[in-house]
Amino acid sequence: MNDQEIRQEIQIIKSMIDKTKRATAESAALFVMWGVLISLALVGSFILGRLKLYHWEWLNWGGITVIGWIASVFYGIRHQRTTPVRTYIQNAGRHLYFACGAGFLLVGLIFPAIGVYSHEAISILISCVTGIMFFVMGGIFDWPFLKTVGLGWWAGAVGMSLIRPEQRTLVYTFLFIAGYLIPVIVLKAKFDRERREA
Amino acid sequence: MTSEKFAPLDPVIHSPVRLAVISILASASQAEFNFLKKATETTDGNLSTHLARLEEARYISIEKTFQGKRPLTACILTRKGRKAFEEYLKALESYFPHPQGGEENPR
Repeated sequence: MNDQEIRQEIQIIKSMIDKTKRATAESAALFVMWGVLISLALVGSFILGRLKLYHWEWLNWGGITVIGWIASVFYGIRHQRTTPVRTYIQNAGRHLYFACGAGFLLVGLIFPAIGVYSHEAISILISCVTGIMFFVMGGIFDWPFLKTVGLGWWAGAVGMSLIRPEQRTLVYTFLFIAGYLIPVIVLKAKFDRERREA
Repeated sequence: MTSEKFAPLDPVIHSPVRLAVISILASASQAEFNFLKKATETTDGNLSTHLARLEEARYISIEKTFQGKRPLTACILTRKGRKAFEEYLKALESYFPHPQGGEENPR
């Protein structure tokens, strides 16, 4: 076997791994859906705050969480059926979405509903779960930018715990735009580019 | 460098199409026939022959299902196949010249 043949073999292996990676680029549809749902919850939270109906906060966040969770499960099942190739990274990502979905459900709906803590803590705890989601995703996709976003969410959670509950919606809205909408737009552009190249 | 230093390459994997298929399956938990055909740029018949060879060696398993009325053929790398691919990569490494007194296989 000569040098040329060895290089050809290495080239085949590299090329196939690249093709597999590009074919499995996510559509970011789930991120966009969660973004829209959280935006609606933020608006709901703001309205409830203005009307002094704080005791309905759990229903606002909980309802959004349940809708998002159900939609994510359906999307996951459909995606699994139609995808031409499945990778271990995708499996890890799916488990992460599921775990965070369960986390949102617990901290946003179940715990406040049974009185474990006040509704005022929901946005702080949801920020913690969102931080975990972005940080781990950054590790899975080997993208430091997402890890930084995760750190931003945790810093935001600490910041919100230091201010008055009625100011939290405003901080959370800023955090959401800087730490979710912007990364999602960047992520979607990246995935769309990878899909076009595939 | 003498030929004794070279590890033998597994003849089941040592073919461009079969190496390509194994490389895809090593980085994926499962891949469809059509994806493999497109990625390896080969024909249905040719790919089927190579997949049969890999299946015969028990390096891959092939699952045939239906999505609605459309038949789906999914290929999965077996444990034996993964081990064989790892051995193949090690054997391939032995063909690279090692710098005298330096580190082996600098990356």
